Amino acid sequence: MSFEGQRGEEPRHGPAVDLHDIQATVMRHRPEPYFGSHLFLHINDAHGGGEFLRRLAPHISSASDWWNSKDPWIAVAISYPGLVALGVPEDSLQSFPEAFRVGMAARAEKLRDYGVNDPKNWDLPFGSGQIHIQVSIISDTEEKWRRTMETARQHYQGFSGVTVLLIQDFGAQPDSRNSLGYKDSIGQPAIEGSGIDPLPGQGQPIKAGEFILGYPGESGVPLAMPQPDVLGRNGTYVGLRKYQSRVGAFNRFLRGNGQTDEERELLAAKLVGRWRSGASLTLAPTKDDAMLGEDALRNNDFTYASDPQGRRVPLGCHMRRMNPRDTKTPVLTDVNIHRIIRRSTTYGAPYDPNAISEQDDEDARGIYFLFISAKAMNTLEFLQQEWINDGNFMNLGNERDPIVGLQEEGAPFTIPKEPVRHRIHGIETFNVLRGGEYLFMPSLSALNWLAGLNAEAVKR
Amino acid sequence: MATQKQVKTGSEQSSDLEEKLQKLRDLYADASEIGKTALENVIRALKSGAPAKEPTARIESAGRIGRRQGKVSELTVIVPLAPGGAKRLRGFLEALHGSIGNELVDRVGTVHDMRFVFLEKDTKLLFCTAYDGDWDAYIEDFATKIPDILDLQFGDTEGYPGIRSPEIKDFIVSHQITADFWYVANPNLTVVETRRLQRIGNALEEFLDKIN
Repeated sequence: MSFEGQRGEEPRHGPAVDLHDIQATVMRHRPEPYFGSHLFLHINDAHGGGEFLRRLAPHISSASDWWNSKDPWIAVAISYPGLVALGVPEDSLQSFPEAFRVGMAARAEKLRDYGVNDPKNWDLPFGSGQIHIQVSIISDTEEKWRRTMETARQHYQGFSGVTVLLIQDFGAQPDSRNSLGYKDSIGQPAIEGSGIDPLPGQGQPIKAGEFILGYPGESGVPLAMPQPDVLGRNGTYVGLRKYQSRVGAFNRFLRGNGQTDEERELLAAKLVGRWRSGASLTLAPTKDDAMLGEDALRNNDFTYASDPQGRRVPLGCHMRRMNPRDTKTPVLTDVNIHRIIRRSTTYGAPYDPNAISEQDDEDARGIYFLFISAKAMNTLEFLQQEWINDGNFMNLGNERDPIVGLQEEGAPFTIPKEPVRHRIHGIETFNVLRGGEYLFMPSLSALNWLAGLNAEAVKR
Repeated sequence: MATQKQVKTGSEQSSDLEEKLQKLRDLYADASEIGKTALENVIRALKSGAPAKEPTARIESAGRIGRRQGKVSELTVIVPLAPGGAKRLRGFLEALHGSIGNELVDRVGTVHDMRFVFLEKDTKLLFCTAYDGDWDAYIEDFATKIPDILDLQFGDTEGYPGIRSPEIKDFIVSHQITADFWYVANPNLTVVETRRLQRIGNALEEFLDKIN
């Protein structure tokens, strides 16, 4: 078993969601260690695109044994221009939400993607409308990843239906740490009917309809679903965000505000809410505890009941913003409907604690984030507006998320303390957005439906 | 001052102003004598007063519909009522905001004010509110946290699909009218921030009382 968090247990209850039809990536946690690639493809003609999907479909893993990540798996997602290129009928295209149809770049204002994060500064091919299909290959060993990549290559090489725009390898980081040196992807939402009991601290399972189309959500009714039924049901959406980590700026900030290594590491933990190992400040308030960070049964098992002021876990830190849990927020909020499945994939050079130059900020290293939800567009816009680039919901005025927020000059970060809070000024944008796409992750039956669209048209 | 560079030179500002005033005079050419006299008085006062300041927050869109100034947005809805709806709604609002109290609304934390006005012999409802953030940021939260309050407030409007319905946003948009003009005294103060400043103010006064 490569990921302890899933405990390799067999399901205790009959799954209520159709795991056989849902793509594995929706449910399956990233293994540790992990190796993989994202491939971004352009469809040259509808027939070729359909043929590509037809060949690919048998290799896409279902979530039927999602708790087992021993075998490498392949996931596929399609952008709105991709659906158009595949020849999806007009009435069906119109049944997709507007934010998905216009794409992430066109929603920059709603996403507060301004300044350095503005789509005009993105790396190609992101935001250009050229990306039609994203294929992701994920594995727990380098050898299996390379073997699967080779299989994939045989599918697209010499095949004129699609063009590969970009191949981005990811993973293979020391201790699976991310580009700022933290263990990440702890604390995913538990999904009702997924067949496995939640991990300690995951909280009550959230209604499947929040994450997969065709099931009731938290309000009791299913979300609007693309039509026809076979296309929408058991599918979901992916918000892809490519971040460049400005490691130099991050390290300069730590050095500028911490005299000793201990002080700097405590500050680094205050920004996230967890030490680098993944150990939460709730459970390890004064120093890192690597054993705790490792242990999936313990590293997320806490509430904020004993820390309402944020003296351990600051109210404005990344972890508490992204999941306020039982924090009493001054704004009426249902935490369960703003959760999102995160598949974080780190790329480029590993985190270097000694990188402090501005040149280091430009070293290719960062994270491709996959945010998965039946309303990913909605949730991402909410998160960007309310929980990331604002502090109102935590009584923090204009303060923003210290890790993924877009900071203005002189921006503050508040660390609650006795007798008075400590406020640091001059926090910078540590993760700069360099690309983004909205994609639809179809069910396996939808994939076959999409692959068959053009074949039928030709027959007619 | 940070805004210094945005301030136009004196001559640029006065030619801008002259142009605007001429437009106003043209518009008021057909107005009543009362209107014309008032306009000339206002123009005279404007010219003799201090130069105009840059607004502290520009008026922009609240998202899908409505206006936003700084952190505050406006929403105006006019919607037909079902027969007997006005009577029920009056009763409910009186109970909610009178005897039961405003705790439920206070808890929302993003609503500055709400106004329910019955129009045209109780056949239509005018609903106005000022709130923090974008148009649709918290509609889903209402649907899971306080669905019954919302369904009682708007359940008697014609065609209301229910707060939990995926159609709810389209329903609101179909009856919402964006304000042409809207003034906000403190566009950068949210409800939460106002309450925070009140607490700080009270604590400071208490502290000052104690030290002398």
